[in-house]
Amino acid sequence: MASKENPEGMNTENGKAAIKTAEEIFEEFKEHSVAEFFTKNKQMLGFSGKVRSLTTVVHEYVTNSLDACEEAGILPEISVKITAVGEEHYLVKISDNGPGIPSENIGRALGMMLSGTKFHRYMQQRGQQGIGATGCTMFAQLTSGKPIHVRSSTGNGKIYECNVSVNIKTNAPHVSDMQEYEGDFRGLEVMAEFADVKYDRSEYSPLEYLKRTAIANPHAEIMFIDPEGRKVRFPRVSEMLPERPKEVQPHPLGLESHTLYELMRASPARKVSSFLTTELARVTPSKVDELKAVLPQFDFDMNPRDVTWEDARRLVAAFKKVKWVAPSAEGLRPIGNEQIEISLRSLLSPEYLSVRSRPPKVYKGGVPFIVETAIAYGGKAGARTEAGAVGGEIMRFSNRSPLLFDAGGCAITKAVKSIEWKRYGVGEFDTTPITVFVNIISAFVPYTGAGKQSVAAEPEVVDEIKFAVMDVARDLQRYLAGKVREETRATKRKAIIRYIELLSEHLPLLANTGKKEELQQKLTFLVFEKFKADEAAEDQKEKKTRVLMEEEGGEGEGESGKIEFDEEDM
Amino acid sequence: MAKEAKSDDKTSLAYNKLVELGREMVQEIETNESPSFLTPVRSRSNVKSDPETGALYLGDAKETRTFVHVSQAKKFMQTVAIAAKLKSFLEQGLHTSIRGLYYQLKFTIGEDVDEELFSEQSESNPLIEDLEAALDLKREDFNLSTDRKGVVAGNMIIKDKFGGEESTIDASKQGRSGWMIPSDVDNGMEFVDIDADYVLVVEKDALWQRLNEDKFWKKNNCILITPKGQASRGTRRLIRKLADRKLPIYVFTDCDAWGWYIYWAIKTGSMNLAYLSKSLATPEARFIGVTMSDIERYDFLKKLTINAKEVDIKRAEEMKSYPWIARHKQWVQELDIVLKTKKKIEQDALQGQKLTFVGEYVREKIESGAMLP
Repeated sequence: MASKENPEGMNTENGKAAIKTAEEIFEEFKEHSVAEFFTKNKQMLGFSGKVRSLTTVVHEYVTNSLDACEEAGILPEISVKITAVGEEHYLVKISDNGPGIPSENIGRALGMMLSGTKFHRYMQQRGQQGIGATGCTMFAQLTSGKPIHVRSSTGNGKIYECNVSVNIKTNAPHVSDMQEYEGDFRGLEVMAEFADVKYDRSEYSPLEYLKRTAIANPHAEIMFIDPEGRKVRFPRVSEMLPERPKEVQPHPLGLESHTLYELMRASPARKVSSFLTTELARVTPSKVDELKAVLPQFDFDMNPRDVTWEDARRLVAAFKKVKWVAPSAEGLRPIGNEQIEISLRSLLSPEYLSVRSRPPKVYKGGVPFIVETAIAYGGKAGARTEAGAVGGEIMRFSNRSPLLFDAGGCAITKAVKSIEWKRYGVGEFDTTPITVFVNIISAFVPYTGAGKQSVAAEPEVVDEIKFAVMDVARDLQRYLAGKVREETRATKRKAIIRYIELLSEHLPLLANTGKKEELQQKLTFLVFEKFKADEAAEDQKEKKTRVLMEEEGGEGEGESGKIEFDEEDM
Repeated sequence: MAKEAKSDDKTSLAYNKLVELGREMVQEIETNESPSFLTPVRSRSNVKSDPETGALYLGDAKETRTFVHVSQAKKFMQTVAIAAKLKSFLEQGLHTSIRGLYYQLKFTIGEDVDEELFSEQSESNPLIEDLEAALDLKREDFNLSTDRKGVVAGNMIIKDKFGGEESTIDASKQGRSGWMIPSDVDNGMEFVDIDADYVLVVEKDALWQRLNEDKFWKKNNCILITPKGQASRGTRRLIRKLADRKLPIYVFTDCDAWGWYIYWAIKTGSMNLAYLSKSLATPEARFIGVTMSDIERYDFLKKLTINAKEVDIKRAEEMKSYPWIARHKQWVQELDIVLKTKKKIEQDALQGQKLTFVGEYVREKIESGAMLP
């Protein structure tokens, strides 16, 4: 019984509070399921904040739809509808024309945490952990008390409809009310109710998310209906289905201890040495010899499945002591200059656009990545505030997926903001109608948290973003300078026409001879001949300076991001 | 030198030169060339000083003003408009100031007049100077008047044809006020009779009044002029004209760099007006005082020195840097004393002991020939 002397109500003997034994404490220790853990920590999945939560739901489903369509070789058609069913209570319906989920997999795909086909693959993919869709199911359950409603068909004429929920304690899916009927439909449709969420039209809203998704996926047709019934269509602007990224072998320098540990424990190889040469990139027998020299006490002939975590850690350290050939970037699939251009032009109708899809680079010595960037100026570019003011906007993407949240801590934001925009003719970034687009492609994008909305500041990544953006910024600068030049020339021309007229008027008065119109005609001819010559000379000079600058390699980039290559193994 | 001009002047040299300038431009345009004219380079690089007299003049370097040129078109157009206006002033037989010219231009040209060029404060106007230098004439010849400054008294009769009337001015009968020197002492001005042995130029009006009261010019038979500080164009021109009649010119200023510079501007001309030195500079002029050496000569002055101002020191240093001044050892000595002692003496100090001493001082200096070049 709790009392003033014994606030915790512990068993007392002789009036003194007893110290609990370790056993007693641990009696109460229960195993929590993964699902339980995430229920209590849903902000880790992106369900923090009312607007953000709703956008995260849309993000998870749309990502899955895009991935599924691409894997099946289908040009995606996705429609998203959000309806208000109460105060901060919405029904979200998302449907796609993808391959659908076979009936027997529906439960596990949408009702089980950490399951899914994506988890163990080392390749470029939008969502990295396969938590997403089930997280939404749980979120729906927790806030509305209702399961999600699913409708799916693989196009075989049979359509399946059911409800799905997650058993929080056991992490098992619960599929109920399954119906099967005939019909001509292929794809997946999910309807889920969420409470404690809010829809608005801010920069963090589902609308903005879908707009950006459309930008990064010009091959997708996206339709959105908001709670007020307003329809927004992001049309498909490219018939080119992106090539699937290839699964690649990880590079020794791109592995962390636990990843290496997992790989070895799951490896079919009989020896660690053969595991290394067959399952990791760039590991040759001679490299294994070098590793043996660095780690003489380690038994490279042991079975990889018997390896300890400590062994993995030692190996990772040893990798760092050996020179490697840089990893190949062949598995990566950037969006590409042409597609980015089509996309941004269609959505922003900018006055000026410059795009750069850069060649691959490597961070940490072992992880290849590609930065794609673009600058859009004028037209609909830039962020618009409520008041109608226009300012600079940064659109961040990783593997074609928009990063809407946690902008402040993101390496992309930091890199773009660290640029001296004044040098590029952009006065104040925050008041210029400019959109900077940055997409980072990698099999392993470094994030700063489980929310996956913010890129970690790996030095090679930050540098590459900066150089890429400076590249397109230079293009913009040239355009703006040209614009200014054109305006100046136009003003000068107007002025000189006036001077010609005035001179033609006064000269006859001075000279007692000469006619205004004749003088005017002749002077106009003379002046514009000169103008043409002057402007051509100016343009020539400007061209020469530009060529010189390009030959010098622009801003002195190129030195960072280069790794020690060991050429002999190539 | 301009001919005697009549009002409604359509035949004077100035008029003809303006028309000719215009004709040449029309011809250039008709032959598909950019209208242009040549004018001497007026920048310091082309200002030279005569080795004998020290007078400043422009070298032979010339530059072209032309219309078909991105940075010159506007100025050229304005110059032609100015020339046309000046021609019309001559035709009308009327005079006006630069400010009046500005408003005449603004009326016909409107926005395209460079307001900064026609500043009320400054009489320096590069476009008008272009015309003066190119045509070898003064703006006064084009009926442009400047602010007058300067007073004269003495035995001098002048016939003044102006505004359609002719008046006779007797500079010996102007009482305490003296005759104000006009901005144009050439066109329409006839110096009928001058009876004097020399010309005395006194820096300050107060000293001129003192000497005028003492009838100095009558007793000593001279022309008494005060420029009232830095000499205006009209005053410089008058001094030059009097020197042309072989009258010695003696200058009497404060003992400070500022006063001395007034002397040098009269003597050699100024750099800004180097292109008009022929008409405005009087290298024959000599300097009476006050000098720092006078302190030795006249004991009472020792008590009457005051501190030299910052501008005096600066001016002294500048003057030492001009080769036409630096050649004269005596002047360098005087300037060095100013720089060392940082003292000066005003002309007015000569009245310290006795009000009438000023006249005695001047006569003594002239008679003894104790003057600086």
